[in-house]
Amino acid sequence: MVDLSMHLMDIVQNSIQANAKTIDILFEEKTKDHTLTFVVSDDGIGINKEMLKKMDDPFFTTRTTRKVGLGVPLLKMTCEQTGGSLEVKSEPKMGAWVKAVYRTDHPDCLPLGDIAGTLALLLKTNPEIRFRVLYRLDDDEFRFDSDELKQLGIDLDTAEMFFALKEFFTANFEELFRKRPCGSYLC
Amino acid sequence: MTEIKTLADLKKKQEEVKSRIDLRNKAENPEARVQVKVAMATCGIAAGAKKVMEYFVEELEKRNIDAIVTQTGCMGYCFAEPTVEVILPGKEAMVFGYVDNVRADEIIERYIKHGELVDGIIPQNYDTIEQEER
Repeated sequence: MVDLSMHLMDIVQNSIQANAKTIDILFEEKTKDHTLTFVVSDDGIGINKEMLKKMDDPFFTTRTTRKVGLGVPLLKMTCEQTGGSLEVKSEPKMGAWVKAVYRTDHPDCLPLGDIAGTLALLLKTNPEIRFRVLYRLDDDEFRFDSDELKQLGIDLDTAEMFFALKEFFTANFEELFRKRPCGSYLC
Repeated sequence: MTEIKTLADLKKKQEEVKSRIDLRNKAENPEARVQVKVAMATCGIAAGAKKVMEYFVEELEKRNIDAIVTQTGCMGYCFAEPTVEVILPGKEAMVFGYVDNVRADEIIERYIKHGELVDGIIPQNYDTIEQEER
């Protein structure tokens, strides 16, 4: 994985596979601690204890089409190589919660990548799922709830609306990122 | 065009787009639409499936093809990612491998528009067992 947006797409796919109706995505940058926390939580079918133990084993997957599952192991690798950590919590029927912590003062920290485009793509292709996004940068934040789009009668059926949504995310993230002090590898 | 930054801007854009789209008569029956499914698992994402998907979303609309673009999981052809499954109305699913923007263009122009087969087809028969029973 070249950047964090790819991990985002990948981990959210797991939630979609688990029949989640609501998916919460959280990014939290803390300048003082030099950390970026990335959390995906859902209300899907959850993971049982046995599977949870095998979660970071690359040769374990629930799929039948292939024998390896690299999504979670890769995420674990990229956050641990910065000195961060990965934590997964889940219970059957109780959804799942994946938290990855990256050290932003480590040169191996992944760039964020195209978060705006990834979010827009997820929203467009999964209209039945409610996505809630929160990006917090110290004391500032950007919040988004796909239910608000529905209430306003906005659908993403057309490509034009997809690109408009992408622009909306890009503009908001740009404004937020302007407040990020330099020195972080995310700059 | 002005920058889109608030939900209100999005709403305005939606109204603007809607007023134009209504004239274009979308097919009401989803069966009659072309379905394009881009594989979006770890392997696909790492191979650049997102770029291909954005390309399909943009180009299919530009070329006035009534299609629906969705994402699927891994189909087991990790070696050939990004893979794309195309279902033309009334036809069997066709899976294409090694799809980049150039090949995507070829798939739209030749397969989706004219039904011609193009390079990179991954043979897979969903219906084999059923057909044998008949």
